[in-house]
Order: sequence, then structure tokens, then C-alpha cells
Amino acid sequence: MYKIGTFSTRFSRRLMMLGAVSATAALMLASPTALAQKAPNGPIEITSGTSPGGTPDVLMRRAAKILNEEKIITNPIVVQNRTGGSWMVAANWVLNKKGDENTVLTIAQPILTTPITTGQPTIYDKLTPISMFIQGDLLIAVQPNSQAKNFKEFIDLAKQRERGIKVAGAQAGSTDHMVTGLVEKAGGVKLNYVPFDGGGAAASAFLGGNVDMIVLPPSEALPLIKSNKAKVLAVLSESRRTEPEFKDVPTAKEQGYDIIWGQSWGLAGPPDMDPALVKFWDDAIQKLVATDAWKAMVKEMFLRSEVVPASQAKEHMAKLHKEHLALLSDLGLAK
Amino acid sequence: MIDALVSLGHGFGVALTPMNLLFIFIGVCLGQLIGALPGLGPSAGMALLLPITFGIPPATAIMMLAGIMYGGMYGGTLTSVLVNVPGEAASVMTAVDGHKLAKQGRAGAALSVSAIGSFLAGVAAVTALVFVTPPLAEFALSFSSPEYFLLAALGITATASIGAGSPIKAILMAVFGLMIALVGTDPILGSARLTFGITELLDGIDFLPVAIGIFGIAEVLASLERSYDSEPIKTRLRDMWLSAKDWTECRIAILRGGTLGFFIGLMPGAGPTVAAILAYVTEKRFSRHPERFGNGALDGVAAAESANNSAAHGALIPMLALGIPGSASTAVLLAALVLQGIRPGPTLLVEQADLVWGLIASMFIGNIILLILNLPLAPAFASLLRIPYEYLAPGILVISLVGAYATTLSLFSVGLTLFFGMVGYLMMKADLPRAPVVLAVVLAQLMETSLRQSLMLSEGSLSIFVQRPLSAILLLLVIGSLLLPVMSMLTRRRAERRMRDETPISIATK
Repeated sequence: MYKIGTFSTRFSRRLMMLGAVSATAALMLASPTALAQKAPNGPIEITSGTSPGGTPDVLMRRAAKILNEEKIITNPIVVQNRTGGSWMVAANWVLNKKGDENTVLTIAQPILTTPITTGQPTIYDKLTPISMFIQGDLLIAVQPNSQAKNFKEFIDLAKQRERGIKVAGAQAGSTDHMVTGLVEKAGGVKLNYVPFDGGGAAASAFLGGNVDMIVLPPSEALPLIKSNKAKVLAVLSESRRTEPEFKDVPTAKEQGYDIIWGQSWGLAGPPDMDPALVKFWDDAIQKLVATDAWKAMVKEMFLRSEVVPASQAKEHMAKLHKEHLALLSDLGLAK
Repeated sequence: MIDALVSLGHGFGVALTPMNLLFIFIGVCLGQLIGALPGLGPSAGMALLLPITFGIPPATAIMMLAGIMYGGMYGGTLTSVLVNVPGEAASVMTAVDGHKLAKQGRAGAALSVSAIGSFLAGVAAVTALVFVTPPLAEFALSFSSPEYFLLAALGITATASIGAGSPIKAILMAVFGLMIALVGTDPILGSARLTFGITELLDGIDFLPVAIGIFGIAEVLASLERSYDSEPIKTRLRDMWLSAKDWTECRIAILRGGTLGFFIGLMPGAGPTVAAILAYVTEKRFSRHPERFGNGALDGVAAAESANNSAAHGALIPMLALGIPGSASTAVLLAALVLQGIRPGPTLLVEQADLVWGLIASMFIGNIILLILNLPLAPAFASLLRIPYEYLAPGILVISLVGAYATTLSLFSVGLTLFFGMVGYLMMKADLPRAPVVLAVVLAQLMETSLRQSLMLSEGSLSIFVQRPLSAILLLLVIGSLLLPVMSMLTRRRAERRMRDETPISIATK
């Protein structure tokens, strides 16, 4: 049931740094002490910081549905959207529920980045980490009529004039912004990043031909590629995706630019969560990712589902925090 | 053309099953209710109900959620007219004139013209959706940040002409509104502005506490002063219905408002609220009695209400054809598709033809249901105003404060609303126009982000506003809307001076 063997083969680089060997060892060591498991009483809230329909929200709603339908968790699960302050409303809600048994928080990038960009104290280390179990790749796309046929030509184009290439993305400090920073660093170029109110607005600026480049997850890129409204130059993962739709998209790395970045999502509990409850969630997620329904969803949304179990989640989050802090400092966005 | 009709026929086949009809009915009724409650706008209502749609088939879910979206446009009118609190953002203009009409005993007429205008504009917009979705979607994309900035600027400068008072006072109040909107997180850099370390202010001051306070609460405060001599508003039965004269006055307003609303609605980035504001100020320009605007102009209400409904429908065009949300509500619709495992995007029209055409057909049905619901209800609700104001006032306060609480589920918004109630009351005392403040708060965010985006796109050059043909046209309109009041003021002065000059001459020649 614990698919340790399979996930180590497709580990992304960030996870790889943790070391798959130590992962297995840690899990084995942790298992005797973590045998005690307890289920919460009554309905469970999964707190989400996006409005309904945002990727993390969709993922958690799907997860909740499968967990209930497959009777992995029998308590009714409610995904509650507590939007505002770039996830801080949701995070504070859970932070204030010390030791609560019926609330968990969706972990998404802003949990790490918002404290960095606003100069507030970190949040990830105050929560009780449960698991990171969904990862998403990112693609670099340009206008279909762009002169650049591959990533190298695109960088050459950007070199012709400083800030000549316009990039549309979400708010300052968002994933799109960080990827733009990575491209600038790897290519030794300066791009012109224009923040819009979220991905939808950025996409309409791109489709209207007002900007040259956009960062897209595969599921959003696919309809644009199919209708010839975007040309994808690179995927920012360690290796190419295997689906027929994306297997011809080269990685940035194989084109000579070491840019590896992605998104990841998971769950964390409030501070001082009972270890027996952490075990309950840890087991539930292991069972969840093994279900056919979950695998089908992951495939349909072009994601990956590699589980970082509770025993390593803390270390993993710290690692992610360090990477984000370094990148945002480079971009001059860390306060 | 024929293809579209065949597809539409097929769509009706999808929509007219008993189950889908039931859900369309539930959707529009909920929309009506949610729209009428201040604080809970259609997009928030849709978002609340989104999880429930999980278990029902995609087409049914989308039809119901869309029903909430346009049902909200009908419902928002109700609270605007009756208690001067906009039920949702898009009814803000209706609160200005609709409530004045209600005070004149014409609430019934205002409500029925809104229902009829919304219906006609809605059906016309859906018809446009049937035939011209793909080309219009491409057109919608030609609007970007520079155009949005100028649209918002047009709305703000036009506020100078709203209300009967001095244009200078109106502009000053609009600037006050822009200042309120500065509080919060900088939309481009993400840094905190004027929040004084208060976490609740990080998200900025929402339009609703401002509108509910400045319009609703202030009205109650001011009316309590004269409660002893106030009489219940006389609502005569014959005023409940539209007269033939009202209708001739309003039908062109509905046509103009509906058309304008549709085009503004289909731009991703604008939306029903901007549409209603611009339709109202346009109507004032064309009206034969502009002085009535701000004091109870039925055609102003008709234009604004037609515009917000056609804009709500128009926003579906970029959503269906390109997968781009044109408004907060369509963003929730897209979310519903994603939750159902359907990938929105340019391929949606082909890959999910059943769903798209079913949705379009359902909107014809939903609009008819809403018209049938609203016409008999208009006089019924209008007669509520026969209750003496002393008894109505506490009810209005409760609705206002609950609405304020519902926006963020925190008592902070309630406090903020009460604060703006005081501000509004003082503004009434000082004879300052209140509508420009609220309009500026509504438009400020769009105006600020799009200006800064434009300048980032052009690398700091202002030429971006004249190089793009659409923005050049809009720029001319903005300049025109600023110059017109000045010109009319100058000509009036010159006429006065000539009068003064002529008088002594005539004496001298005598």
C-alpha cells in the first residue's frame, strides 16, 4: 500500500534532495511509534485560501469526495473557502485552532510566500505538517507567431533588448513571477513582468496579444495549444511529461537552462495536533493516492501525486521555504 | 446561422427535461433572493452553492449556477429601490434613482421597468450569444489594460455629471472615494498601504460597507431626524404599473442600456457594475430631461438595470469561447466546470456542445421565469412602503448590518459600515453628493491596476493610450466628458455677461 518504490523513481529534484533512502528509513523508524491512530469525531473542515475553483480548492474537493466515497474517512468532509490576504485569512483561522481535531489547512505556495513578501513571521513551521501529496508542472508558452522556435531562441530574443519581452502573470510574488525570475537568472536576461489580477486576467492579456510570454500549468495550456493560440517552448520539470499531448515538449534543462520549478500542495494540521491524528491523516492520504479515482483525476489534470509522508513533511516544508526565500530575495520581493 | 439554430434547438432539448427545468427554477429563485440581500452578491452566492453541484450532472449544475448569476441581477433591484441599499454592486445606480422614485410613490413603476428592461436585455443578449459568440470573443480580447483604464476614467469623470449639484463637489467626492480605495494591499507590488497595522484592512475597504453605510444607514439616520412629521410614502395603486408615457420614455433607454451593457459585459475585466454605471451616465447624456437624473429618473433606472443584466450574459461569451472569466460570477462558473472535470478553453464550444447549448437555452427559459416572478411581485413589494417609516427604519438597519456582516463574516465590516453611515450622514448635512464616492470606490481598483499595467506594458510611455485605436476613441470620450460641463459653464457665463453688458447699453440709448 505504501508506494515508496514507485515514487522514488519519479521524484522531482526538490524531493530528491531529501534523499529517497532516508525517506524509506525514516518511515520505517517512525512506524512503530506512530501505530496509535485516532479518528476525529464529527465533520472535518479542510480550509482553503482560494475561492472555489482555484486549483488547490479543486484538488481538495476532489480529495474530500474520494475520501468519503471510498469510505477512507467516514466523517463528512467540508472544504471551506476562507479567502483574503493571500491565504493569510485561511492560515490564521487554522493557526488559532490549536490542538483542534476537526480542522486541517490546505498547503499551497502562498503559505510560504506571503509571509516572505509581507515581512510577517513564517507560518509553515507553526503548523503540524501532515503531507504534501500533489505536484504540478509548469510550462513556458509564447505567442503562436513568435519568432522563437525553442527556449534558446526565446532567450536570444530576450537578449536583443532589455525588458523587451513582456510576461503576463498573477500578482507580485506569485508562481508566475518566481518562474520569470528563474528564467531571467538562467538566461542572463531582463524581462518585463506585468502582474494581473490572477491567472484568468493574465491569460486574457496573453490571448489578446498584449504580452509575449506566459507561464501555464499543462491542463490550462492544452486547450490553447490545441486551438493554436499558444506555442509551448519548455516544461520546467526534471524530465519530460509522458502523456502523448506533452511528450514532445522538451524540458528547459535539456535545452541547456537549468530551470526546475513546480507547484505542490498538501495538508497541515493546526499547531499541537495530536500525533495519533497526524497518523490518521497520513494513512488516509496513502490510501487516497492509491485509489483509481484519484489516479484518474491526477491523470486528467496532468498533475503528479508523489507523497511526502508526515515523517518527512516538516523537513520538506523547511526546504521549500528556503528555496522560496532565496528566490524571492533574488527578485527583491522578500521583506 | 442555420447551424446555430439547429444547435439551439438541440440545447432546448437538453434544458427542457423536468430535472433541468427544476434546477433552472431553483437557480433563478435563489439568484433573486441572493441578489436582494445586500452583502451576498451573485458570485458569493454561487460560490457558496458550488459544492452542492458536485453531485449533479455538469449541464444541470451550470444551468443552475448561471440562473443564480442573472437572477441576482433581477433581485438586486429590489433592495436598491425599496431601502436605498444596493442588493449587489451592479445595482448601485439603481439605488440612486430607484429610491428617489420610491419616495415619490413610484416604487412599483421602478421595479416593473427594471424587470421588463432586464428581461428584454437578457433575451437579446442570449440571442447574440447564439449567433456571434466566436467573433465577439475575439473582439473582447482586443480590450486590455489601457482600455480598462480609460473605461474606468470615463466612469469617474462622468460622475461629475451625476446628480443635480455642482460638478466640482462631485469630482471632489469622487477623489474622496479614490482615497478610500487606496487603503489595502497595493495591487501590483503587494505591499500594505494605509493599513496602520490593522490586518482587516489588508484586503482593502470593500465597496459594500461604503455603499451600505453611505446610502442605506445615512438615509435612515437622516430620516429619523424628521420622523415625527414624516408620513408614509403614498403608493397609489395606479402608480404601481407603468403608464404608456413611462413606457415610451423607457424603451429607448432599455435598448441603449442593454446594448452598451452587453458590449461592456463581454470585455473580461469590466462587468455588470461598470456596465450599469456607464449605461446610466450615457442615458443622462441622451435624455431629454437630464435634470431628473439623480432625483428619480425612470429611464435612468431602466438603462442601468437593462445594462447589468445584458452584461451578466455578455460575460459568458469570453468564458464559453475562450475559457476566460469576464466577471467574478463567470469565474465561479468556470470553477464549476473544472470541479466537474471539464476543461474550459477555446475547445469547449466543440467538445462540450451539449453543455454549452443547453446552458444558452436554459437562459431563455430562466429569463422568462424571472419576468413572470418579478412582474406580480413588483406591486406587492412596493406596497411594503406603505408601512410608516418609523417601523421600517429598524428593519432597514438590520438588513444593512447583516449584509455588511455577510461580506466578510467579521464584525469589522459592521463597524466600517456604521462609520461610513456617519460619513454619509455628515455628507447629507453638508449637501455633498454621495453617489460619486461610492462609484469611485467601485471603479478605483480597475482604474489603478489597469493604469499601472498599461504603463508597465508600454515601459512608461503614455503613448499607449493613443496608439491603440480603441483606447484613442475612449480617450476622446473621456476628454469630451470632462470638457462638456466646462464648456456649458463657459457658455452660460458668457450669456450672462452679455445680458449684463447689454442692459446698460439699452439704458444709454434710451
